[in-house]
Amino acid sequence: MRYGLILTSLFACVLSSGCSNNLLVSGSFPSPLIDSDPHTLGVFYDDTFRHYTYTEASEERSKWTIEQGDAQRQLFNTVLGKLFSSSVELSQWPLTEGSELAPSVDLVLQPKVSEFQYSTPRETKFKIYEVWIKYNLSAFDREGQLVADWLVTAYGKTPTAFMKSDEDAMNAAIIVALRDLGANLSLGTLRVPELKVWLENNPAHTQIAANRAQ
Amino acid sequence: MLIHNYRFKHRPLIITVLATALVLLSACTSVNIDEYKSQQDLSLSQGESVVILGRRHSSNYETEPDLISCIGDILKQENSIAVIPEAEFVDDLYPWLEPRTAPLKVKDMPRILKQPLVQQAFDRHRVRYLIWVDGKTETTDSSGSIGCSIGAGGAGCFGFGTWEKESDYVAKLWDFQRLENMGEISADASGTSYMPAIIVPIPIIARVQKSACKAVGLQLRNFLMPDNGSPPVI
Repeated sequence: MRYGLILTSLFACVLSSGCSNNLLVSGSFPSPLIDSDPHTLGVFYDDTFRHYTYTEASEERSKWTIEQGDAQRQLFNTVLGKLFSSSVELSQWPLTEGSELAPSVDLVLQPKVSEFQYSTPRETKFKIYEVWIKYNLSAFDREGQLVADWLVTAYGKTPTAFMKSDEDAMNAAIIVALRDLGANLSLGTLRVPELKVWLENNPAHTQIAANRAQ
Repeated sequence: MLIHNYRFKHRPLIITVLATALVLLSACTSVNIDEYKSQQDLSLSQGESVVILGRRHSSNYETEPDLISCIGDILKQENSIAVIPEAEFVDDLYPWLEPRTAPLKVKDMPRILKQPLVQQAFDRHRVRYLIWVDGKTETTDSSGSIGCSIGAGGAGCFGFGTWEKESDYVAKLWDFQRLENMGEISADASGTSYMPAIIVPIPIIARVQKSACKAVGLQLRNFLMPDNGSPPVI
């Protein structure tokens, strides 16, 4: 009787794990080949962003759990560190009473994931994994006033043929999507109209200090 | 007794021969090549290199990275042409050659080259030709079935399966110095693979993508080294 119960439990475990996929996204991103803006940027990643995990809620799909917080933070740090002359991670934003922003920070950026979607070959009949991610970016001045608020999209796909497992294929598709996000951030951020005007009208602290020294 | 010894001695050899024969079994593939050359005087100076890049902007397929490296390996044979690995070049030029940003036509190249950092990266790699490869290999048809079973007396398969694959690739050769499209090579390959199974499945594979790669690679080599020797020095 006891053996029967153990066997049934094992069988149930195998069945339930057969339809679930757990993925911790990992990869590396090249530094973009772009000119830097002279401003210093403070970046705030809240806990939801740092530990962003997509969990599939639909009963009709495989039970994917995708942790991509570290990978997307790595991408933002790589790109923003090159897009601006300097970029620092902030531990909190908005500032609470008694806390101070580093004097060199000119502008603060806060990214948020607003949407994550994917499709697998089983669903589309194409032999590719696809991922779409939508980010909401908000830029603030030192006083916490909103300067600009805009959306950035990312898309990535990968054929299954070169991959060893569903997880590897999904990981590759997400890395391609994050590279696409990096391209979008590198070439599009300084063209956001409100941000462009603000950057033109507010010289960087480093520039002001250099002018004073002269 | 003598016969038994003979069999025993030669068994490893027989097994090796059979295994080699199975590996070497491959089905036929047919390849059609078309080429268009806008300039006859293609040349590659000493120290100059080429880079082969796969197109990845289409929504339902992407050019396979292993095809790109396969073509590169053919160009590199006998150290004849310096080929920069695709991933290394795309990373060095990030984000200018991503699917979203890569120039689709040669006349779009000045758009990215007006960035001094991009121009410097091209100069650093001494790139003379950019070769864009667009296309895919896909299974177009399949039929048959193979059943396998396992029992107390052993395991075995029985049946017959067949599938057809088609490759369709176009390679465009851009001259980085002149900023012109110097020519195009298109390759269509198709082949049918078979898998008869009598106890053991025996795959007879048509290497369609490999044939397309070889055809495009050799034709590109011929483009860049018409005399089939070392690249002419200007």
